[in-house]
Order: sequence, then C-alpha cells, then structure tokens
Amino acid sequence: MSTGVSIIGAGLSKFGRQPDHGGRELGVQAIRAALRDAGLEWADVQVAFGGSDGSGLADTLVADLGLTGIPFTNVKNGCATGGSALMAAVHAIRSGAAEVAVAVGFDKHPRGAFDPRPEDWGLPTAYGEAGLMVTTQFFGIKIARYLREHHISERILALVAEKAYRNGALNPNAWRREPISADEIAAADMVNDPLTRLMFCSPGEGGAAIVVTSDAVAARTGRAVQLLGAATRTRRFGSFEVFSPSIQGSGRPSSVSTDAAAAAFAAAGVGPDEVDVAQLQDTESGAEVMHLAECGFCKHGEQEAMVAGGETEIGGRLPVNTDGGCIANGEPIGASGLRQVHEVVTQLRGEAGARQVARPRIGFTHVYGAPGISACTVLAV
Amino acid sequence: MESLELSPHGTVWGFTVQRFAPKAPPYVVPDGGFVPFAVGYVELPEGVRVEAVLDCTDFSELDGDAEVTLVAAEPVPRFATKATR
Repeated sequence: MSTGVSIIGAGLSKFGRQPDHGGRELGVQAIRAALRDAGLEWADVQVAFGGSDGSGLADTLVADLGLTGIPFTNVKNGCATGGSALMAAVHAIRSGAAEVAVAVGFDKHPRGAFDPRPEDWGLPTAYGEAGLMVTTQFFGIKIARYLREHHISERILALVAEKAYRNGALNPNAWRREPISADEIAAADMVNDPLTRLMFCSPGEGGAAIVVTSDAVAARTGRAVQLLGAATRTRRFGSFEVFSPSIQGSGRPSSVSTDAAAAAFAAAGVGPDEVDVAQLQDTESGAEVMHLAECGFCKHGEQEAMVAGGETEIGGRLPVNTDGGCIANGEPIGASGLRQVHEVVTQLRGEAGARQVARPRIGFTHVYGAPGISACTVLAV
Repeated sequence: MESLELSPHGTVWGFTVQRFAPKAPPYVVPDGGFVPFAVGYVELPEGVRVEAVLDCTDFSELDGDAEVTLVAAEPVPRFATKATR
C-alpha cells in the first residue's frame, strides 16, 4: 500500500551546542540541507509547516529562505511538533493542494532548560512547592514499575544507553561522540531511581527538515523513499503521563504510542515484524525499552533477551536508534521527530556510512511526548 | 461532577527517589534543607492510582506492593509505610 506521498529530501543542521548559531538559523540550515538533498530550490516549495518549542516561529524563516508567498503554518505540539508538521505536509500532498511540501522543526535549549510551571499544566501551586514538578520523576516511576512488573533487570538501562553512545560515535552529526561503558553509565549520579544522569538525553540544539512530494514528482528523482503510513494520536483514558496527580481507571495504563504505532502500521499495510530499522523515542534509555513493546516489536518482558542478544544493535535483527537517538543527539524538542525520519530515510537509501544497516527495506519512526502525544511513520524503499 | 471518597489504604504501584533538590521555585526547600524523598503512585482498592509523597525510614520499604496509609491529603497526598507511622 502507499499513501501516494514520498520523501525526496531530508536535512539536518548540526546537533549539539552551537553558541554562534541561533535556533531559527538551525531551522534555515536544515531546510537548505533538505532542499539540496532533494535537488530543489525554496522557490519550488508550495506549502510548509513547522515549529519550535522555544526558539521562535517557523513562518519567520521565509525572511531568510525567500519571500515566495507560500502558505507556511506554525505548529506547536511539544515533542510531536516535527511529527505533526510532517503529518500536515502529508495531508497537503494527499489532498492535492500541493505537490511539494516542507516540514521543519528546530530548537535551541540551554543546559538545564525545561522549567515547567504548575499553573501552565492546570495543577495547584502546592504541586510544585512539594517538589513534584520534576519531569524526570515520571520516567523513573514508569520504568521502575515496568521493570518490576515484567521481571527485567536494571542492567538493561545501562546497556541501551551504552548502545546510544556507541552509535553516536559512528554518526558525524551527533552531539555525544564518545563511547561510554555500561558500567560507567550505571555508576553515574542517580537522578531518579533507577535512572542515572548518563541514561537521560539532555536539552539540546538542532534543526531537521523533510521534503515530501506526490509520487508523481518523486518518480522524477532517483532517491525517493515511500511514506507507507503515518499517524499522530493523543492519549486516551487511563494513560500514564508526566505530571499526573493520578492514573485513572485500573489495570495496565493505556499507551498513546501503541495507538499511534498501530494506526501507522494499519495505514501502511505492514506489520512490526517486517521492519528492518527503527527510531524509537529515547528520552531516557528506559523509554526505548518500553517503546519496543508499546510499538509492537516484542511482547512486554521480552526486551531483556532482545537486548542481551544484540537484536537492537546496528548488526542485529531490528536496529534501533542507529544515529544514537536523543541520548547521543540531545533533545531539541521541535527537531527530534524529524531527525528520526531523517535517519530512517538515510538508512533506507543506504547512505548512513559507518552506521549503515545491511540493506533495510522498511523503516519505522516513533516520537512520544507530553502530555500524551505520539507520531509514527512507516517508510519503505 | 460527583465526589467519591477513596480508601486511605493502598499499595505502592511504582515509585522513584528524588535524589537532587528540585528547581526552586516552584519547589520550596523545607526547613533544615533538602533531603532525598520518595514519590510514586499508590494503588487504592478502587483501582485508581494516586500520586503521592511516600514517607519511609528506608526506601527499600517501598519495594514489592508495599502497603501504605494516607497521612495527609493536603497540600499534596502523602502516604507512609508501617515503619514510619
């Protein structure tokens, strides 16, 4: 099956600290890189969607790119900003409103960024005063519960982070390019048990852009990647999210990632077992572990054997986060969802250099974020 | 909307330890300074899981479906292990 939409260009700015470049500039660099990759000019783009979480409005980028008069819609959707921008671009192509569309996401967060305020989340002031307005607590509680429920040892958290740094070392564009051993990761400062400082991604800097076109336009280029399916979802009743005074309902919490992944696979007409390379949201290493099951790549509890057997390594059965993921690239919120798509496009084209997976045909991307949103794509060559 | 009275007794569904002092504000550092504390979700007999600060003498008391009892509902729910009460 096909959505009738193809990706013909993918571009990134550099990721990691760049004191000389502003957030908007990283967005412009990403778009220029994606257009160069597609063999197009900004003047060829008929519609654009994009956003950042804290680095300004994407539609202002036209001042740098060119005042061509096209519709350019700002997207602000937390960690799903890039994914939502891509979905909007896909819809524009499918509707016939445009034949060439751009999706862009960018951000530049300083060290220690992310200062959520209780009032902005509809929570009482006392929630923050008591010390509960801490994002990392959610990740610690969720993975602690998960490991206990499914009899997985904490060691998996260090092993997954070790893989992220190892893959980052193979990726010239990554922020963290030094391998770190699982022992060092496990022995680092504890942030929120069982997660240490080296298991988390850090607020980062970067931009990512994707050029999507109709299949007809894509047929004129040689390096198109087909978008087989894409879906975004928001949480349903009973999910467990950051800053939740309660988890409603009973039994295992619902998962927005499960919903979005299932919808993307259904649209694509392929199953998780057919995927050759995947990008899964790894805000911390436990998230990658849980998302493997939530997205349908294994049953709950099977991850320990998968990771121990090297199945998620670049040479394994299902390579995951081959570019080092959020852990090695940092988390510029607006950009991460499209960085994932960029990596899978790069892998499917066979252009990933030292981190190339052997002849992948079908790829998958998954982003998850607060307050319970997920965007997934299924791509193929 | 209707109010429901929930049981003051439950079990620890999941928890973590806050090892570093949260950013202040919004955090208000207690008199005597920050000490690591446990936070998690308490599963009540009604099925709902309530986020709470968890009082204990040792964090290991909270492992394995530990039984806890409500000691304060305001400003945020606070439950305590048997050893603490």
